[in-house]
Amino acid sequence: MSQVEIRNLRKAYDDLEVLHGIDVDIPDGAFVALVGPSGCGKSTLLRMIAGLEEVTSGKISIGDRVVNDIAPKDRDIAMVFQNYALYPHMTVRKNMGFALKQRGLPKAEIDRRVSEAAGILGLSALLERKPRALSGGQRQRVAMGRAIVRNPTVFLFDEPLSNLDAKLRVQMRSELKELHQRLSTTTIYVTHDQIEAMTLSDQVVVMNGGHIEQVGAPLELYDNPQTLFVAAFIGSPQMNFFEGEVTPEGRLKLAEGLELDPGRPLAGPGQQVTMGVRPEHLELAESGWPAEAVVIEPTGSETQITARLAGHTVRILLRGRTDIQPHDQIHLRANPALIHVFATETGRRI
Amino acid sequence: MAVVDTGYTSRRHLWRRVRIVAGVVLCALFLFPVFWMVLSSFKMPKDIFTTPPVLFFEPTLETYRSYMSRADITRRMLNTVIVAFGSGALSIVAGTMAGYALARVRLRGAGTIGVLILMSRGVPPIALAVPMFLVARKLGLTDKHITLILAYCTFLIPYVMWLMRAFFQSLPRELEEAAMLDGCGRFGAFFKIIVPISIPGILSTLIFSVILAWEELLFALVLTNRNASTIPVAIAGIAGDTVNGANWGALTAVGTLTVVPVVIFALAVQKWLITGLSEGATKG
Repeated sequence: MSQVEIRNLRKAYDDLEVLHGIDVDIPDGAFVALVGPSGCGKSTLLRMIAGLEEVTSGKISIGDRVVNDIAPKDRDIAMVFQNYALYPHMTVRKNMGFALKQRGLPKAEIDRRVSEAAGILGLSALLERKPRALSGGQRQRVAMGRAIVRNPTVFLFDEPLSNLDAKLRVQMRSELKELHQRLSTTTIYVTHDQIEAMTLSDQVVVMNGGHIEQVGAPLELYDNPQTLFVAAFIGSPQMNFFEGEVTPEGRLKLAEGLELDPGRPLAGPGQQVTMGVRPEHLELAESGWPAEAVVIEPTGSETQITARLAGHTVRILLRGRTDIQPHDQIHLRANPALIHVFATETGRRI
Repeated sequence: MAVVDTGYTSRRHLWRRVRIVAGVVLCALFLFPVFWMVLSSFKMPKDIFTTPPVLFFEPTLETYRSYMSRADITRRMLNTVIVAFGSGALSIVAGTMAGYALARVRLRGAGTIGVLILMSRGVPPIALAVPMFLVARKLGLTDKHITLILAYCTFLIPYVMWLMRAFFQSLPRELEEAAMLDGCGRFGAFFKIIVPISIPGILSTLIFSVILAWEELLFALVLTNRNASTIPVAIAGIAGDTVNGANWGALTAVGTLTVVPVVIFALAVQKWLITGLSEGATKG
């Protein structure tokens, strides 16, 4: 186990800078997710921690060692790749034992550790098989097994579940979480799936365009997104946004006839703002903003309504069921305590 | 429920038949000269050019017997084996490593280097043969196996390098990265992971390289005389015998002897050529 410290880390390919000064602290034993859209630099950051990409400038420390110029094999980290990268000519046993053999461990010790890891992951019956004779989920487990037999100081995961089907993904997600609870090894997990990031990690690092947008506990990001990007990225279904301005009375004017008292002083009158409200924080009311229901999507435990509100398409998430039909007129209300207001120009929370 | 012939399936079947017939015709077209050569090598010289040609005759080993003793064929065959496999092996080792470097190592100007090496293949061999002869003579290396092996490497290494580069590029990069995290350096990852899974590619490239060296005539003609002379030189000698005229019987016999070892070699390594070894390395 070890903490990972990243200071002012930059990465450039020739003249193109893809990471612009990243600072992150990953505490010892934490499960941290790096999340963001494709091309945001999350995988590059992970690969730099692994030593697979050179550092342009800045510092990466694992434990109390700066590892910038240390070869991947000497960093004492294990990585699970998106495509598993199992050695096709070796059996599961040899795949899992390869790193230990490289380290020159005695055969008995290798066998003991491989058997132990195989037991944890339910791979004991598959040890003599080659990767091509395994299903996707089994290959995924072998890739994890290859990482855990080494007992490394840090685990790195690069979108490890994205090649699995939806059902298996959910199953492997809980297995991963259980594994982390059991081993408590510092884990850095890259994903573009915010649900994975939210459910698995102690701390989420949201990245966008080579910058960090926000770092925080999953629910903290959900409840207090500091930027429009984080507000839009975290949460499914996505937060509803309305652009508008602050009136001289301090109210939010989002459209003609669509006003709201934010209940707290905002920036000066005339400022352009974007208000966000999560689908579950829009309530149906007897009176309020008039809207037209367009699509009703019941999932059993809850119902998602897509409605048209003053030219905007909004999503409302209701607990339980409803008898609202498409084209019904409904009224909506947003609880001022649960709205998020951002400066439109900077995208920062007000 | 009745099966309805949509027209699509019958068209597909027809197309399949056309392709099979076309394949058989093409194979026959390519193999016929080989067949004719082998057949003729077992005929008495007088039977080779009879009209109409005879398919059924009393086979004889007379041609083999008489020519083998005369033209040093055994030694030349041995020379050809040494030179073809020597240059094949050397160029596989050098070319595979160079191909890997071009495919994977981030080197400034790697692309240019690769293109330059490939361009060397564009130089007509005849332009190189004479300078090579002069250098070999200066170094006292004429008529030696090593000279021919090195000369063949000049065109085999670029060939291997480009084929293997394409092969390595098709392998997932993560395999080496996983090996490097598992405790290997660049060389360890190459020899312990990449080479074992590239055996099919390496072997098929080796076969082509050996065949290229096996049938090479120009350098062998210029750089060897007696000791290291190869089979193609012998064939050229028989075909170009202006004193006695071409001995067609000998030509077909030596031709057959030339083809057989290569075919045996190709069949021997065939099972290694089955691709798909890397299946299962990455996502399923």
